[in-house]
Amino acid sequence: MATGQAAHGVSEDWLSVWIGLFIFVLSLGVLVGADVLGWGVATAVWTDLGKALVPVSKAYAGLGGIGALVLTYLFLLVVMTIGATALRASVGKFVAGFTFVFWASYICWIVGSWAYLAATADRLGAYKISWSLSLTAEAGFLVALVAGLIVGNLFPGLVEATREAIRPEWYIKTAIVILGGFLGVTAAEKLGLATAVMFRGLCAIIEAYLIYWAVVYFVARRYFGLSREWAAPLASGISICGVSAAIATASAIKARPIVPIVISSLVVVFSCVELLILPFLASAFLYTEPMVAGGWMGLAVKTDGAAVASGAITDALIRAKALAVQGVKYQDGWMVGTTTTVKVFIDIFIGVWAFILAVIWTSAIDRRPGERVSPGQIWERFPKFVIGYVVTFLVVLLIGLGAPALLPKAKAAMGEANVFRGIFFVMTFFTIGALSNFRKLWQEGLGKLAAVYVVCLFGFIIWVGLLVSWIFFHGMKPPLVSP
Amino acid sequence: MAERRRMGDELTRMKHEPLLDVEKKLIGWSLITGVILLGILVWISYTFFPAD
Repeated sequence: MATGQAAHGVSEDWLSVWIGLFIFVLSLGVLVGADVLGWGVATAVWTDLGKALVPVSKAYAGLGGIGALVLTYLFLLVVMTIGATALRASVGKFVAGFTFVFWASYICWIVGSWAYLAATADRLGAYKISWSLSLTAEAGFLVALVAGLIVGNLFPGLVEATREAIRPEWYIKTAIVILGGFLGVTAAEKLGLATAVMFRGLCAIIEAYLIYWAVVYFVARRYFGLSREWAAPLASGISICGVSAAIATASAIKARPIVPIVISSLVVVFSCVELLILPFLASAFLYTEPMVAGGWMGLAVKTDGAAVASGAITDALIRAKALAVQGVKYQDGWMVGTTTTVKVFIDIFIGVWAFILAVIWTSAIDRRPGERVSPGQIWERFPKFVIGYVVTFLVVLLIGLGAPALLPKAKAAMGEANVFRGIFFVMTFFTIGALSNFRKLWQEGLGKLAAVYVVCLFGFIIWVGLLVSWIFFHGMKPPLVSP
Repeated sequence: MAERRRMGDELTRMKHEPLLDVEKKLIGWSLITGVILLGILVWISYTFFPAD
């Protein structure tokens, strides 16, 4: 999670809340008969490219797929450019950059929706094909990630030129705010299971802050000889929530500003590696324990973008595998919901942890005369997009519980909002890839930090995350799709 | 970029800082508290929030 704070503008965090809520509120028009967002473009799994795109609502069928896509682009361009203006970004560069990111990402999504990549086993007949990789339509996310990696590593000049719009954290936080409403519908239908998932998600806070952090800090200090200034932000970056945790910790212990910046680039690169590996591992070995897989992504993958993205891929891969191997058709959203719950719980304590470290550093490690730590820093560090996520989740949950008759309409409304969530997701994948410049990292001589990262991540964090996720989530299954 | 290169040099020639008692306490207490709290949370989860 990056703070993304502009020099004097609003933060990406708050912008995510406002933009996410704006789209959410527009989608709720369906509840009162006003189909405001029905023109949003949806991508269907295709064998005939001409049928890949459709407006999400039949009421707008006359627009056609291309019309819906252009309208969706223009809508997002206007909304996001207003946001970029509030961020004090260069508007001209943002418009050009966003245009590139949007179209590159969307083309990837269309490619990923090709039936030979995406069709699940039960749909092969419907598409009249004999085989498929069964990656579901989320294959587009992986295509976007690979395309982003190609751009980031082979065309760094293009990344520089479009940098104003290479903002994966902004996109994913906006997506998470919208996702809250979608998960609210899911929770309203199965309240008992949702409550159990949420409560068990609390384990993530203990694991990330008390176990991961302590072990990584110890390994970095004792075995790799890192100074406190490097070890503490690195421990937070690896253990908690990547970028923003490293920044918050560095600020709490008064490290030089360059320290979290260097660590952040490491976090992004390794998150990308995890994103490419872990969902496939989960699909191969955990398809009988889908919620364990969802929790594992939240506990093991750093940065909000990569974690929730991994949850989405895992959700898709495991549903496809469970269907093919066991003939079981799980409802979508429960695994990525578990990942998001776990990640959000981890995020909300960053401020508290930074405060604790600041107290320890100023009182016992690095005493400076007259220096005091203010509890106000906890709020300052609080990830504000969580507020948006909780609001959309609760509004839809309360609608579902208070007026069950409205639940089908709420579901349709969230289906429309979900179109935009999907687009923010695919842009997140593309931009994460674009930011992961492996060669640059190597040239900067960060081998020692990378070694700590590799040892802790692959030697400890991933496996303890799996163990804890297993303890808390095994035996829990997503509800089945009604026949 | 130049500053980041210097960081690479700094990392390779970093001076050793011994672990202070307060750091050892922070690590030790974090782990002990973490394991105990995880145990409590497992019990509460399975007792009051069963999966089914």
